[in-house]
Amino acid sequence: MIEYTWLIPFVPMLCFVLIGIFGQKTPEKGGYIAIAGAAVSFVLSALIAYEYLTGADYPNAVVDSICWFHIGDLQLNLGYYVDGLTCMMMLFSSFISTLIFIYSVGYMGDQGGRKKRYYAEVSMFLSGMLGLIVSSNFLEMFIFWEVMGLCSYLLIGFWSFRHPEGDAASANAASAAKKAFLVTRFGDVCLMGGLFVLLGAFGSLDFVDLFNPAKISAVNPDTLTLGMLLCFGGVIGKSAQFPLHDWLPDAMAGPTTVSSLIHAATMVKAGVYLVARGFPLFVQNPDVMLFVGLIGGFTAFFTATMALNNMNIKRVLAYSTLSQLGYMILSLGAGGYLFAIGMDSGNAALMAAGTAGFIAGCFHMMNHAFFKALLFMCSGSVIHAVGTEDMRLMGGLRKQMPITSITMLLGSLSIAGFPFFSGFWSKDLVIEAAFEAGDHNILFMVMWVLAIVTAFMTAFYMFRMWFMTFAGEKGKNTLHAAEHGHGESPKSMTMPLCILAVFAVASGFLIMFGLDGMLSFTQLASGAFQVGGGHTEGFEYFTELFTNPYTYLTIVLALVGIFIAYLMYVKRSINPGSFNRNGESILYKILTKRWGFPDLYNQLSWKLGYGVARGVDYIDRQVVDGTVNGLSGAVVGGGEAVSKAQTGDVHDYSSIVLLGIAVLSVLFIVIAKIMGGI
Amino acid sequence: MIPFEFFLILAAILFVIGAYGVMTKSNAIVVLMCIELMLNAANINFVAFGAYNTDVMGQAFVIMSISVAAAEVAVGIAILLNAYKLRKTTELTDTELTSLRW
Amino acid sequence: MDFPILSLLILIPLIGAILTLFMGGSRQKSAKYVAAVFSAITLVLAVFVLFNNSEFASMAESCEWIKTDFITISFSLAIDGLSVLMVFLTALLVFLVVVFSAEAEEVETDRPNYYHTLLLAMEVGLMGVYTASDYFLFYIMWEVTLIPMYFMISWYGGPRRHYAAIKFFIYTHVASLVMLIGIFAMGFHAAELTGGAVDFSFASIADAMHGANEGFQALVFALLFFGFAVKMPAVPFHTWLPDAHTEAPTGGSVLLAGVMLKMGSYGIIRICLEALPAGAEYWQWVIIVIGLVSIVYGAYACIAQKDLKKMVAFSSISHMGMVMLGIGCLSDAGITFAIFQMFAHGLITAILFMVCGMTGHKVGTREIPLLGGLAGRMPIYATFMMFAFMASLGLPGLVGFWGEFPVIFAFYEFIVANDMLWLLLFCMLSLMLTAGYYLWAMQRTLFGPETTKIDLSHVHDVNKTEFAAMAVLCVLVAFFGMWPDAALQFIEPYTDGLIAMLGVI
Repeated sequence: MIEYTWLIPFVPMLCFVLIGIFGQKTPEKGGYIAIAGAAVSFVLSALIAYEYLTGADYPNAVVDSICWFHIGDLQLNLGYYVDGLTCMMMLFSSFISTLIFIYSVGYMGDQGGRKKRYYAEVSMFLSGMLGLIVSSNFLEMFIFWEVMGLCSYLLIGFWSFRHPEGDAASANAASAAKKAFLVTRFGDVCLMGGLFVLLGAFGSLDFVDLFNPAKISAVNPDTLTLGMLLCFGGVIGKSAQFPLHDWLPDAMAGPTTVSSLIHAATMVKAGVYLVARGFPLFVQNPDVMLFVGLIGGFTAFFTATMALNNMNIKRVLAYSTLSQLGYMILSLGAGGYLFAIGMDSGNAALMAAGTAGFIAGCFHMMNHAFFKALLFMCSGSVIHAVGTEDMRLMGGLRKQMPITSITMLLGSLSIAGFPFFSGFWSKDLVIEAAFEAGDHNILFMVMWVLAIVTAFMTAFYMFRMWFMTFAGEKGKNTLHAAEHGHGESPKSMTMPLCILAVFAVASGFLIMFGLDGMLSFTQLASGAFQVGGGHTEGFEYFTELFTNPYTYLTIVLALVGIFIAYLMYVKRSINPGSFNRNGESILYKILTKRWGFPDLYNQLSWKLGYGVARGVDYIDRQVVDGTVNGLSGAVVGGGEAVSKAQTGDVHDYSSIVLLGIAVLSVLFIVIAKIMGGI
Repeated sequence: MIPFEFFLILAAILFVIGAYGVMTKSNAIVVLMCIELMLNAANINFVAFGAYNTDVMGQAFVIMSISVAAAEVAVGIAILLNAYKLRKTTELTDTELTSLRW
Repeated sequence: MDFPILSLLILIPLIGAILTLFMGGSRQKSAKYVAAVFSAITLVLAVFVLFNNSEFASMAESCEWIKTDFITISFSLAIDGLSVLMVFLTALLVFLVVVFSAEAEEVETDRPNYYHTLLLAMEVGLMGVYTASDYFLFYIMWEVTLIPMYFMISWYGGPRRHYAAIKFFIYTHVASLVMLIGIFAMGFHAAELTGGAVDFSFASIADAMHGANEGFQALVFALLFFGFAVKMPAVPFHTWLPDAHTEAPTGGSVLLAGVMLKMGSYGIIRICLEALPAGAEYWQWVIIVIGLVSIVYGAYACIAQKDLKKMVAFSSISHMGMVMLGIGCLSDAGITFAIFQMFAHGLITAILFMVCGMTGHKVGTREIPLLGGLAGRMPIYATFMMFAFMASLGLPGLVGFWGEFPVIFAFYEFIVANDMLWLLLFCMLSLMLTAGYYLWAMQRTLFGPETTKIDLSHVHDVNKTEFAAMAVLCVLVAFFGMWPDAALQFIEPYTDGLIAMLGVI
């Protein structure tokens, strides 16, 4: 079975082609084909994961590849690489995709002929995501990475023309799509540079070669550091880390299903996955890991601030996605830092702590996929009913939309880190990893503080969102929806919500049933690196977390956050306006302006892009082309000037001819005399 | 035998007369005739040098040159006739003809 | 092989050109069918050659053309891994252009038979350039391509067509005269070195030139390189290209960018590298700098353009700079993928110019500021445009990526060896800029609110022949993008030989 791993990305790609050709003629414009493709991928993933995890090869990675082509003497391959991380990733990606595709039938139901494009593009996207996960080398991964980027571009811009809400909205979508592509492209270009460095240093991009300790030690450490930093540039772009984070909030211009699938559950995880996949290379230098951790920790805090006062339900979720991605990167960075210094000093305990960080990061990636997909789909359900994204116009929807409100509450509790919900387990493991690393580097201690503060902010803004939407007085659009009988969304939408809610609540428990063994990152005695097959701690996590005083700190902070949100938005005993002087305070304005990042991007692209381009164009027209035209002008002008010598009178011509002959004869005689002739 | 210089002097006189005519006369026909004079001056030189160097090539070239001159005159007069038809003049200094230049 | 297939590649379009030339008057409308038949036959032959790559050596033909005691010029044709792709590309694009413009108004209304004559005449010249193995024949064919292109622009072009046509002609003609001086210098010096007659065949001159001293090689290399760099075109000799493209009709642009620019890079590899390896080594940094400057300069110039077609023309400069850069690395990977990039760019740019041409004659203007929201009205057109732009900006999985990634990798290896890693920044900058101008152009033409500055009520989407031509190209772009080895299998044996020879010096 495992030899059919290539089918996992291939099936959705086939669906893409089928929908592209026949989509218009099939019911739901190809929607069922897309669902079937995703479902087949999920079933295949499940079968393959089962076979691999129970098979004899586990925990060694199963790799197979065929030669694709050569660059000079270097061989590039196409193949698959299956280990514990791959299994987890492909399982949750294909599972969530299937659910979101089903949800789309309801959500996109009124889009008419456009649905064909939608389903074709999401199928291609799924193919890209699954292909990225099963890739056996960095180049293959990069290809799927870019395919996802393209699909993200297309889907953000799904309404970039003929937007149902009018011209301004379509211009906005077009601009958001472009921004998303360009900003991630910046990261991708860095990643490409990283691939050059790795390919040059290792002579191969196959994971098998890259993760081979003998080959790693043969490479100049500085080169490797450069390569990994460049690769991390790609991660910063794709996983929207500071300072390239600003495309993600804009990307909410796409349909909510797209935000849910691409900009929360799967694509933005690709960067995190890249760090996890390239962990053997990243941990070669603790400083790289320190950098990774600092970027992650700072992003977690920095982006959470912007969610605090946002009024757009999808934007709040987008910022929270950014913040959670920061957690994952922080966890991998902290774990990798510990692992790296452990490797340097040969300290097995540090390496084990590093492994814990790795597990926490991957675990949070999975949990986040569940609860964030759920939250986005809930917000989609709400938007579907009330027809706006502005939370001030919602409110009091709880009665009208019972399933949505309850599932969204579960998701919010999960992300807020309420005890025993899935987000609680992974987030606290992440924070613990940062704390552990703080023992060895004070900067990680700062990150730990930021992470704690972020946990508080997360709880606050998530419940601010939930209360503003579902509790309190009925908003303008709520009333409007009630008048028109827009109540709970159709079954195709609520059914996936319920399924995902189960996971959002319970997926955290998976870590007690062996998930950590599947995700553990270890260095074997032979020096080789391995994902999976590690020691399974089971319920020790339970005791570990609940005997740790800091866990209670985060729980208390989360509860305080929820309580403050309750006081502000339900009980109204605290006026939110008193904190921000009714939107007049500087901080509030800065947050509304997103810390000035959109302006910064604009300024940079105008100055470095268009400004220089205008200069180049000027040079091209005036200097380069000017020289050419000037030359031809000189020839033509010179010809005209000389032609004035033609009087048209034969006598002048003949006189000049005779004069010339006379002069020539005299000259000839004189020269001959001087030369001594005649 | 006639001294060699006599031929050269005759030719030079003819050539100068021709050149003078070309440069001063305004009637195109006269100018053409003057050109003929200059050509013939050259022909005399050819023959003279040929005879004194006992080389027949001189005479051969003269025959060649006479035939070319004939052709040239034919073309020249044809052009003149057309010019006369169109511009009603054969005066070379007339603006009707000088304006043909460009 | 007894069958003179290479001569037929030249002869068949020639017959077609002569036939269409005399199809004036009432038969004008059927000229396109004749052209389609003849270009289709040529395409079949080209594909036949492509699939018989094991028999390349036996396909060579040679017969004496002009022979005196001191000079030998022969009509000799040969084919190898480098030229076969170009031959295929030429045959394909000419055929597709005929199909594409079957219902185009700009051609329909104005002497359609001459349009097809010019297309086929251009094919004659291009086939000759890509198969010639004698310098004289090469030069003559080089000039033969020039004349139909001149008339193509000045008859069927836009409002400033005369300016553009004359600029194109003089620019490239001056360049080819400089090239001719180089060819003569090589020919006579080779005769001096060997002590025999002047023989203009590729092989004998290359053999003799390898024995020439470095100074002479460098000098002649400079002359030839100038001729080819103008054709490519490389900054700063590029300004004829944007004007020519802006004014040329769609078919002319497709051939101009698709295959005629490749004559420049083909010449650099075929002549400069094969015959003058020491010269190549001498000028290596100059080639690289010109390549880099072309890439970045072209990309920047694109951003500022308002005319869609002019933007694509500048992007050609940028992408041909990539070819130059690959050649400049003088390494196996660099040259192999420079050739691949030539092929890739030929396919992609053909779609690009078809799309831009359609914008002009369907919407009525190509000025980007006047356009907007076309995707809603012309979805198929928008899809093609997006596909072409994505392919051109180097999206992995499409053919453009394999012309970029490995070339930059070859360049990376070169600069690492020379300890100048910072030069990589320019490549990265260009990749960013390329994405920037394409996406920005798409945002302003396809997306956003539908434009009110021009009347879109009469605008139609892509018609059948246009669809067919572009769909074929798109399929090929995707095919070679997913399986680059399909093209590399021709190139690699050739570059192996070339690199072995470059190593000899």
